[in-house]
Amino acid sequence: MPPGVINAGMSERAIDVQNLKKYFPPASAGWRAFLQPFVRATHCALAGVSFSVEPGECVAIMGPNGAGKSTLFRILATLILPTEGRAAINGFDVFAQAQGTRRQFGYHTGGDEGFYTRLTGRANLAFFAAMNNLSANEIAARIAAVSEQIGISEALDAQVRTLSTGMTHRLGLARAILHEPPVLLLDEPTRSLDPLAASDFRRLLKEDLVKKHGTTLLFSSHSAAEVEEIADRVVLLEKGRVAAFDTPSRICALAGAPNLEEAAPKLMRLFREREARA
Amino acid sequence: MSAPAGVGRTLRKIVAFFLRDFRIASGYRGALIVETLEAFFGVATFYYLSRFVSSAELSRAIPGGNNYFAFALVGFAFFDYLGIALTAFDSSIEEARQNRTLEALLVTQTPLSVILSGSAVYPFAALALRTCVYFGWGYLFFGFAPHGANWLGAAAILVASMLAFAGLGVLSASYTVLFKRGNPAKWLVLGVSGLVGGMMYPVSVLPGPLQLVARFVPVTYSLQGMRAALLSGAEWRELWPSIGALLIFAVILIPISFVVFSWALRRTKITGTLTHI
Repeated sequence: MPPGVINAGMSERAIDVQNLKKYFPPASAGWRAFLQPFVRATHCALAGVSFSVEPGECVAIMGPNGAGKSTLFRILATLILPTEGRAAINGFDVFAQAQGTRRQFGYHTGGDEGFYTRLTGRANLAFFAAMNNLSANEIAARIAAVSEQIGISEALDAQVRTLSTGMTHRLGLARAILHEPPVLLLDEPTRSLDPLAASDFRRLLKEDLVKKHGTTLLFSSHSAAEVEEIADRVVLLEKGRVAAFDTPSRICALAGAPNLEEAAPKLMRLFREREARA
Repeated sequence: MSAPAGVGRTLRKIVAFFLRDFRIASGYRGALIVETLEAFFGVATFYYLSRFVSSAELSRAIPGGNNYFAFALVGFAFFDYLGIALTAFDSSIEEARQNRTLEALLVTQTPLSVILSGSAVYPFAALALRTCVYFGWGYLFFGFAPHGANWLGAAAILVASMLAFAGLGVLSASYTVLFKRGNPAKWLVLGVSGLVGGMMYPVSVLPGPLQLVARFVPVTYSLQGMRAALLSGAEWRELWPSIGALLIFAVILIPISFVVFSWALRRTKITGTLTHI
């Protein structure tokens, strides 16, 4: 168990999510927007999600838009609070021990343009590394190692505003792994990459980070082929509920489909029908 | 983690914030030149205004019998500290939201209190430099000469003022966290402070009820103390009432502001709107 963990009755899985529910207040505009922070949360984003990820495992979250994927990631990343339920990363409760939890994960989203664009990639990485408690010596060494690993060494000294989308993505991933977190949370990491860059990115994730370094990876994707290529197990989310959670091959077998691209919608449809009957 | 190690880390982070903002600002060198010239025009305007309104009667009305130019210059220069305190904290959140770095910052191992404080360091340092530029122009071209000033006393007043203003700044940031934009409370504080705080005229010229309001505005004590230290070379015992009043404001406002800020932060984590633009 990592130091500082209060064992709150949760297992030592890399990620443990138990009956997670999240309701948001309805969006409002005009003067009603001033009341929004105090309005009752009625819009359901997650309706009791449970699953777990073992250390070193690569798990994908799949689901249509609005299924609750990003909400789940943002709760795990300590950015929002759930309405009910519990979640832990490496034994750290993400709500009660948010500060300790942040040592355990790196977070990156596919639409991540969150850089100081007039600073160089190196200056950006150095700043965020300092925010993650790395010392000056560690920062220099880690930037050198990670940029080599991710293939951004040549772009490090250019201002971020001059970098391509693919390179900015890599820089985002570099930022997420700079402090060597044991768990990586990637929300649609290949969303705006071209097929070649996305393929490179997947190889980097699976071969380098998961296989070589033993990093636990939880990522979301709309691409069934991508999920089949790198995920050990898949969580199918449908309207904030887990429709299925198994290996890609068993999900295909369950749906009687040749691949995940056909299996996922089929299982989700069956899940919707079952929910409607219930 | 031991306490000294924790303090060391926090200081390193504050330095990282300063370097970040300094590097970004130094990317806009033209702005620095324009601001320096703008300060010259501001000082010159005050100088010619003071020549126009200067009279023996006015000098008698000003504490310490100073000339109006020195009185107004100190008021003008140090009122800015209130403005920066009220804008630096919420601007840091607003800018981070705009350039989408807020989420990236919030998932680091740095608490939001350090993010807020760190983001305010460069604006305050830049303002200190701008104050020097104001005084420099005043000294070089317009006869501003704070001979016999109690510089240490002025520094103490400045620190106490910044602590008192920081409480207001964090309260202002709480509003921005909750409601995103427009901050009527900030403009109300700035407006009332500008009216009754004694920036351009002594508080003594105000009607009685406004003088009473002035007692509840920290900038009143800040400007009073700063003028006494810089223009009259007041001794420590004369400065203590101002320093004490500012510290009382700080002791009351800082804890309240952090409680309010924590509540606002928790609310936005529940509504999921913390990083919304």
